[in-house]
Amino acid sequence: MGWQAFLISLEVTSVATVLVVIVGTAAGLLLARVHFPGIQVVEAILMLPLVLPPTVVGYYLLRFLGNGGPVQRIFGINIVFTWGAAVFASAVVALPLMVQAARSAIRSVDPLLENAARTLGSSEPGVFFRVTLPLARRVLIAGAILSAARALGEFGATLMVAANIPGRTQTLPLFIYDAVNKQQYGVVNLVVGLLTGLGLVAFIIIGRLDPGYRR
Amino acid sequence: MSTVARRTLLLDIHRRLQSFTLDLQLEVGEEIMVLFGPSGAGKSMTLESIAGLVTPDKGEIILDDRVLFRKGKPGAHANVPARKRTVGYVFQSYALFPHLTVLGNVRYPLGRQAHAQERALSLIEAMGLGQMADRYPHQLSGGQQQRVAIARALARDPEVLLLDEPFSALDAGLRERLRADLRTLQRERHLIVICVTHNLEDAFALGDRLAVLRDGDLEQVGTVAEVFRRPTSMDAARILGIRNTFRARVPSADADHVTLDWDGLELKAMPQAAPLGEVVPVYIAPTDIKLLYPDRPVLGGLAANQMSATVTRLEHREHQQIIRLLLDNGHELEARGAGYFYQALDVHVGGRVGITLRQEGLRILHEEDGRQ
Repeated sequence: MGWQAFLISLEVTSVATVLVVIVGTAAGLLLARVHFPGIQVVEAILMLPLVLPPTVVGYYLLRFLGNGGPVQRIFGINIVFTWGAAVFASAVVALPLMVQAARSAIRSVDPLLENAARTLGSSEPGVFFRVTLPLARRVLIAGAILSAARALGEFGATLMVAANIPGRTQTLPLFIYDAVNKQQYGVVNLVVGLLTGLGLVAFIIIGRLDPGYRR
Repeated sequence: MSTVARRTLLLDIHRRLQSFTLDLQLEVGEEIMVLFGPSGAGKSMTLESIAGLVTPDKGEIILDDRVLFRKGKPGAHANVPARKRTVGYVFQSYALFPHLTVLGNVRYPLGRQAHAQERALSLIEAMGLGQMADRYPHQLSGGQQQRVAIARALARDPEVLLLDEPFSALDAGLRERLRADLRTLQRERHLIVICVTHNLEDAFALGDRLAVLRDGDLEQVGTVAEVFRRPTSMDAARILGIRNTFRARVPSADADHVTLDWDGLELKAMPQAAPLGEVVPVYIAPTDIKLLYPDRPVLGGLAANQMSATVTRLEHREHQQIIRLLLDNGHELEARGAGYFYQALDVHVGGRVGITLRQEGLRILHEEDGRQ
């Protein structure tokens, strides 16, 4: 039983992290380099999941993905209570962390270096992939790890939008919830230990990626 | 060496900023043009406009017959992106890519071109950095970093090389060597070089011509010697750090000479345009003020304006001495001479000396439009 939940968590977290890294880096680039009116509103909306109760995020997602929501109306599919909804929920709560990391990573790259690249014949994508991205790499990786850890630990919004279906949408945090209810403390201790250990490892790696870190 | 027609860069840049308006017309050929002026005069903005990093409000930038930028002028609108301008830019802080080695930096502009590696290596070799190819920028000295920046800027064979305060972070000995290197590069590669500086010595040592900028306006353009010997305006003189300007009245002028009355001190200058009875700004180059030996005859142009003065400051630099003099009319002037001058004279602070203002050296400046 726990094994299934572990695999589902692994899949959901992986897919969610890939999405978050792409969307979060793009948003971070936008926030760091482009100035347009209303930028602060966009930034605030992207940050909201960090402070809203998981049930509020879950409710928004239900309305967004569920019956009568824009996703169903446009694509004709309803992914509520499926694996896809779990991915969605994890991604949305992890996104603010990636956006913040990406924004500060890209801001830390001296625009002068990007200008130098332009005078040396680089197109805009060239500037991004050959100069900005390599220089922002460490902080971006740290942001990706933090986002993955957050996605792995997601509980509340997932419960609301993907439910808790063993073998289909039950991730490790949801599995723990069930197992505690059934007083299966042996397996609970194991999974709790695993998640705690992963969290510790994540922060140790993030610490080492800090530009100020010295052996 | 080359039979190619001489390159020219035509600039007509107009850009409004909060503190001033940049308004500059300039033609630069295969030479080193020094843009000189105080910070905030628009020097860097001029370079950025040429490189395509900022967009002027209107104007024209034409390299040979290629229109790099045109707006608000007759002809098709144009704004060639920076990456297609074949303009090399050496930034003040060099802007080397910290995540790439010396080789990686110099190779960068060559991309996937054939022989990129060999080309980059030969450039690195040519700049005397052969041993450094695998080092990272932070492992290099300031002078080495600058050479990498120049090698990188040259990798795509630009026609124009722009340098922003290229020597500001380097010590004197190195400066001299790099200036000489830059002159050689310019000649060998037939480059149009525009170099921004606010250092007088750099301007002297480097520039074929000098353009003096103030608050976005061009004050004066000319050969370096010409601009320093005859700044055309009070502002140009001030920007160039020239202190020997003063205001004098013109009581009389005839075919032989112009008489100047500087607060009671009468001076004779060579005939030149001088508004009778008006008060005009006057300049004399520090090298045109000589100290006199009491026992030697004074001849020619030196004879006219003799007087005595008190030494208020004495400064010995590498090859020259700077003597501040207080005249009897209460004003100060600065004399400069080679280090070996005046050794037989007892020159000390507080002492009296006989001086003369070379008649040919006294120039009436024009205040407003920078024209004589």
